[in-house]
Amino acid sequence: MNKNFFEIKNVDFQVGGKTKVKNLSLHIEKKGEIICLLGPSGIGKTTILRSIAGLEKISNGSISLKSKVLSSKNDYVEPENRNIALSFQENALFPHYTIKKNIYFGADRNKGNGVRKIDPRKIIKILNIEKILNKYPHQISAGEAQRASLTRALLSNPDLLLLDEPLSNIDENFKEEIQVKLKQILKDHKITTIIVTHDSYEAFYLGDKCGIILEKKLKQFDEPYNVYHYPNSINVVNFLNRGVLVPAKVTGQYTLQNDDLGLIKGNFVNEHKVGTKVKLLLQPEDLEHDDKSNLQLDVVDKKFKGTNFIYTLKTKSNKNISVFVHSHHVHQHQINDKFGIKNPIHIKHLVCF
Amino acid sequence: MKSFNIWYISSFLISLFVIIPVVTVFFSYFENTSDYSELLKNTFLFEYISNSLILLLGVLIMTLIIGVTTAYLVSFYSFPFSNFFKWALILGFAVPPYIYAYSLTAFFENYGTAYSILKSLFGDANYNKHIPKFDGMLGAILSISFSIYAYVYILTRASFYYQSNNLIELGKNLGFSKLKSLFKIIIPSARPAIVAGLSLVAMETLSDFGAVDFFSINTLTTAIYNSWLSFDDLAFSNQLSFYLLIFIFGLFVIEKFSRRSAKYHSPLQGGFKTRKKIKLYGLNSFFAFLLCFIIFFLSFIFPISQMLYWTIIYPKNFFDLNIYDLILNTLLLVSLSSIILIIFSFISNYGNRVSKSKILNFLTTISISGYALPGIILAVAYITFVAWFDNTIISYFEIQSIKKIFIGSILGLVLAYFVRFYSLSCNGIKSSYEKINKTLDETAYLAGYSKLKTFLNIHIPYLRSSIFFVIILISLEIIRELPITLILRPFNFETFATTAYIYASQDLLEAAAVPSLFLVLIASLFILLISRYILKEENE
Repeated sequence: MNKNFFEIKNVDFQVGGKTKVKNLSLHIEKKGEIICLLGPSGIGKTTILRSIAGLEKISNGSISLKSKVLSSKNDYVEPENRNIALSFQENALFPHYTIKKNIYFGADRNKGNGVRKIDPRKIIKILNIEKILNKYPHQISAGEAQRASLTRALLSNPDLLLLDEPLSNIDENFKEEIQVKLKQILKDHKITTIIVTHDSYEAFYLGDKCGIILEKKLKQFDEPYNVYHYPNSINVVNFLNRGVLVPAKVTGQYTLQNDDLGLIKGNFVNEHKVGTKVKLLLQPEDLEHDDKSNLQLDVVDKKFKGTNFIYTLKTKSNKNISVFVHSHHVHQHQINDKFGIKNPIHIKHLVCF
Repeated sequence: MKSFNIWYISSFLISLFVIIPVVTVFFSYFENTSDYSELLKNTFLFEYISNSLILLLGVLIMTLIIGVTTAYLVSFYSFPFSNFFKWALILGFAVPPYIYAYSLTAFFENYGTAYSILKSLFGDANYNKHIPKFDGMLGAILSISFSIYAYVYILTRASFYYQSNNLIELGKNLGFSKLKSLFKIIIPSARPAIVAGLSLVAMETLSDFGAVDFFSINTLTTAIYNSWLSFDDLAFSNQLSFYLLIFIFGLFVIEKFSRRSAKYHSPLQGGFKTRKKIKLYGLNSFFAFLLCFIIFFLSFIFPISQMLYWTIIYPKNFFDLNIYDLILNTLLLVSLSSIILIIFSFISNYGNRVSKSKILNFLTTISISGYALPGIILAVAYITFVAWFDNTIISYFEIQSIKKIFIGSILGLVLAYFVRFYSLSCNGIKSSYEKINKTLDETAYLAGYSKLKTFLNIHIPYLRSSIFFVIILISLEIIRELPITLILRPFNFETFATTAYIYASQDLLEAAAVPSLFLVLIASLFILLISRYILKEENE
């Protein structure tokens, strides 16, 4: 007996006869969990959502919700009978209906079945669409349309909510606020949700778990912290674009040696035999600035990120590595200056490939 | 996964039905013909072909000049009544070529209206020799051109309308004069639309029967009619149809091709909304007004005045005509045809939408090719097919002949209209259907709506205005239509078009004026109702 709330088992996701994602398996254990799928454009994230919603059929494996098989080679539940809501990336608002009529579309489908109703007024207020309720879709901005589409999906009280790039059109200054409120609504009402996004920070914030889809496969499916700090492959590292891989040699149970950076200490995430040559993941927060250090590197670039600076430093072997420094740091370095790194380097998790 | 369902079967049947006339013409090509055909081949066939070509060339040149010039003026310039002319210039479409031909003849003939006007102004004299005569080929070219130049005008104007402001400003930036900008930038970028308009004009011209018959010009169309009706040689009639069809399908392909390119002038490329018309002053403004007025006058006011004039001075014709019956007959044909066409267009379009099948899409494409079939060919081929079916299949089973059910009956007429106008209806619905993003259907499914509920609650309300547009368009075409109605109508069943034709063919032009006037007035009303759609205004 399948005890997971939602489960995808060995499914090849196809569109137009082309396989986009192969042999994918994942599950959501409990109602109310949120998972985020990350991956580059065109990799098949939307296809996965469409297949879960029943808009695309599958030819192998199975998709089940609340212990009921929705799609498999032999089973297929029509989209209208799945009680799954999908908020499309392109919003899909009915052009001949007002926003008010649009957001209430399908809201009464679970009337009287004991589902805890979401208060529409609350959602409308949180997503800040009160002023556009009587307008038509062509009279509102892309961001407003996206919020209206999101409201509609939330109000339908689905068993499973699918959100395809739900905040991609929303203004940056408003995005963080919406993210917080969205998470609050989803958690308060225990709405099981799968979110597809290209924004890793959004995924890390919203998701209880994150899946990374690369090269037609689900490469990693884990909690955001683990995905970030313990990427399980070079592909995931490259995709997250959050560090560089430097060559190193394992010299002990807790040590590595790099020709440019010297001795590096820490705990290995995976076991590596002493003497093996590995590639070590160096993330900007792994290195510490120290002007007095004898390990001095050239600054080749400097980015101001508000809360911090990211300095790009060049090693002797022409490798660029990045370092975070708090933006209130007492002094700044300029391009071509020397920049000291605390030596020996100590990294909490040594991720090597 | 792709099973043969109701959508396949219905689309397949529609396509099969629409393709029947073409297949019939093709197979009849190999049948034995009478001596008449040999005689014709050796004598007049060349004349028929050359007449068709001269007529075609004349009409193409005239419609090109009239259509593009007027479209250019109303699209780019502001002058007195320019907004009025924008839609008034399509009213010429309400006057079918044969009715224009009656007016032209009535006005310029010996002792005609022009003579009466001169006489009342300047007294009795022999004005006849000074009044130009617009009959024969010239009359046919003028009649057809003024009646259908609107095809070029409408498509060119739409293309100009969507032309990016950047293009116009580019001309200014390069130091081009207005005329140079017109020929170097504006016209070349509207070329696909102009070619599409001209292809439609060419198809209509080659299909025309009423005007050429009235002016006694022997073209391939009249030859088809005569070889069947006068010489009872249906096979040769079909052979001639075959030649004409090849030519028309060539035009059909050109039109399709051009229209595809015309899509590039989409409003999405931006700029068109901000383009302001250039205000004309002084003589320029006067000449722009004058030119548009002359075209409007010649294409609409002139024929309608002539008909009105005759209706007033010969009121007996008005009271003799059973207008009530004619309106009822027209309503019957229009409502039956519209209902059937709309239903099948929905079946086909909805089937295509939900099944996403390439085969179904292909079948639909075949089924809309009917509009390239001239009415006369369609009618003759329809009769040929029913006769063949009756003589072979029905007589094999020894059951009662079906000829009476399908020929000379309302049913037969409606079926022929179906083939002829299916593309109008299907494409009309399709173009609006394509604007409904498929994710809207999916959103409805996910909100718990069944396919039927989605169709009724999402598609129908959204398509309401285009259904109205299609019904009006079909009605407009049916009341203008002559050859199919003439050949396939039941005995003693007349429409405004056939009544006008019968009177005119008996040289009773004064009597033809009343049904013609009614036809034009009703058609004008229809055009006004749908002018916003035709002109593709801001509401799109």
